[in-house]
Amino acid sequence: MASKINPRFSEELKRYGSVNFNACYNCGNCTAVCSLSSPDNSFPREMVRLSALGLEDELKQSLKPWECYYCGECTTQCPQTANPGELMMSLRRWLTAQYDWTGLSGLLYRSLAFTIAALLLVAAGVLFFARTFGFDVATLLHAGHRFEMLAIATVFLVIFIPNLLRMWHFTIVKQKVRTPMMSYITALPELFINMFTQRKAKDCDEKDNFRWLEHLVLVFAYLSLLFTTVFLNWFGTGSLFIIVLGYVESFLISVITVHFVSGRIRQNKSLNKFSQPSDWLFVIWLLLMGLTAFLVRLFIDLNILENNIWMYILHLTVLAQWALIIVPFGKWTHFLYRSFAHYFARIRSLQKS
Amino acid sequence: MNEEKKIIRYDALVVGGGIAGGEAALNLANSGYRVLLVEKQRSLGGKMILLSKVFPTLDCSACITTPKVSEIARHRNITIFTESEVTGIVKRSENNFVAQITKKPRYVHVEDCTACQLCEQACPVSVRDEYQYGLIGRKAAFIPFSIANPKAAAIDIENCTLCGACEKVCPTQCIDFTMEPEQYELHARTVVIATGFKLFDPLEIPRYGYGQYKNVITSMQMEREIAPTRPFNTILRPGDGKVPDKIAYILCAGSRDASVGNPICSQICCMYSIKQAQLLMGALPMADVTIYYINIRSFGKGFEEFYQQAKGMGVTFVKGKVGTIKEKENGNLILRYEDIGEGVVKEAEHDMVVLSVGVKSNPDAGKIFPQGTLKLDPHRFVTQTDLMGSPARTSIDGVFVAGTAAAPMDIPDSILSAGSASSEAISYIIQHQEA
Repeated sequence: MASKINPRFSEELKRYGSVNFNACYNCGNCTAVCSLSSPDNSFPREMVRLSALGLEDELKQSLKPWECYYCGECTTQCPQTANPGELMMSLRRWLTAQYDWTGLSGLLYRSLAFTIAALLLVAAGVLFFARTFGFDVATLLHAGHRFEMLAIATVFLVIFIPNLLRMWHFTIVKQKVRTPMMSYITALPELFINMFTQRKAKDCDEKDNFRWLEHLVLVFAYLSLLFTTVFLNWFGTGSLFIIVLGYVESFLISVITVHFVSGRIRQNKSLNKFSQPSDWLFVIWLLLMGLTAFLVRLFIDLNILENNIWMYILHLTVLAQWALIIVPFGKWTHFLYRSFAHYFARIRSLQKS
Repeated sequence: MNEEKKIIRYDALVVGGGIAGGEAALNLANSGYRVLLVEKQRSLGGKMILLSKVFPTLDCSACITTPKVSEIARHRNITIFTESEVTGIVKRSENNFVAQITKKPRYVHVEDCTACQLCEQACPVSVRDEYQYGLIGRKAAFIPFSIANPKAAAIDIENCTLCGACEKVCPTQCIDFTMEPEQYELHARTVVIATGFKLFDPLEIPRYGYGQYKNVITSMQMEREIAPTRPFNTILRPGDGKVPDKIAYILCAGSRDASVGNPICSQICCMYSIKQAQLLMGALPMADVTIYYINIRSFGKGFEEFYQQAKGMGVTFVKGKVGTIKEKENGNLILRYEDIGEGVVKEAEHDMVVLSVGVKSNPDAGKIFPQGTLKLDPHRFVTQTDLMGSPARTSIDGVFVAGTAAAPMDIPDSILSAGSASSEAISYIIQHQEA
């Protein structure tokens, strides 16, 4: 198959946040110092090379960007300051945009103005929606709950499933991977283990497991809060257990995201040095989600929500922006794509053996 | 301390007695000018006198340097100050440079010393031998190395216990602990800077384990192991004295590496590593030698042929910078690198690793003149203000630069550069004769 070269690819990738990767002189130091790189799966230099040449098809078919958990060692040790770690991050953003059939992902990553406009539009929608219900707490709480369920189902069916199919098409079908149907089942543990434990991130930094643990707690707090609000109806429940559970979850989310935000402000690790709007948006909105949910429940328990309906509208706004922008098109998707990348990689490896 | 300052006058001051400074001094002296050659170390010859052979001709380095150094030392127009430092040169007029020179005491009267080495045998103090790059020890009363010039004992006063054992055995009573630093004020008509270079310190790359893993050495240590004046008379790895049979070279250790603040190419490491590999193939015919490289820069006359010759001799070349080194219990080393040819990360075991350390500027060059008067480039080498037209010129008219004080370069280029500096200096003296 002939390879198509895009000489303007580095300009394109710059809009997704890449820095200086064209300085690479192909010494392979990054691959050699990477603790996740293995003889069967060597990166990031290959990705730097493909990006420098603008081999978009090869990049689209690669799962390697998702193998990286960004410890930043390659960037620290790069003799050319080519910043391979940030290139891998940019490729993940770019791939997210490639998988997305709507094209909105790409727009949001490339344009801050578009992102802000989208956030404002959703906020206006929420206000309009609240007005039509006459700012009545009970109706709003009910409608909010309904909206949450509806949004999850829609995003899954309309965005995620087609996008994951596209990802599968790029990385399995176009790669001409031929595996028996059984391998899709035998590889399933890989999907769930990586989705819920980020096991490989643990190997990323041998000395320090704190980042992995923090992230793990955040993932579980977030997923269980989602479950608590949607299926256990946290805001409507009378069960003390569920109420306390929700408090603990939203508290954990707030504390960890505050730590993440402060890390990005202090730029204490190479992972935190080049934050794109999409990174800020993700972590700040997660923080706002946790915080406003916590406060809404607190207002309910103190019986003051009635007179402070703005608190719930604020929460609903954050929730709507999260569910309609960040989850389907933003950084939230790495939760799915990364796990599926490990799953697909496992399927590919089953073909070899 | 001897406070009185002796005033001395010479036509030219040459700072640095390595191959570049020596060549420049010799050219000036042969043209009839009186030269003061100031060297910081205890011997002339710089780094070249300590090398094994030179690339790409494989001539014996000591056999070229030693006669040259003798010629410099015996020349009637050259005065040599060893263990001396030049500071605070001020240009008073076009033909009057005034320099402050401190001559440290050697505690040995060189003219009386016969180099009999009795003091060395008597001295009870053992320290690491810096001239063998720490591979073996030496005494505190010692002759720097067998082909040193001046070949005379010296007392390492830092480590001396002042026991007096050397004084008692000295047959010529040339050891004198009452010697004190001497201060000179030199008036010269021109200055040649030949302060040379410093080797990169591999402790700056902790992932290569130098100083921690005993069988990781620098290329200069390997150079000593294969030189005619070598410490062990064979090739041994320092950890356990075993003769190695799987040796790795890591190129660009501290060169072309912005992460250690030295993004430039050192120009000599590819070739000296290839040279050492060839010498090792001769010394240890059964040994495997592997060179890990980013690019082989064999740009000079005869260099590419020399590289191909090494390949033909069976030296293995692997494209890929070594990322990390780990030590096994038996002292062997595991190198992790990406084989660029295949795009695959690999690990290889070697029983000895040589870090081909790069060339860094010598900070001493900046100390000779008052702060800021002599321009240095961003890498702290002396700026060549007219690189294309007159490469020996510096930012101060009448001050010329020779050899690696200006930039990384090999021996032939250093000698060429010294030729340029000395002829520029002579031309400067003639143009600025006193009326």
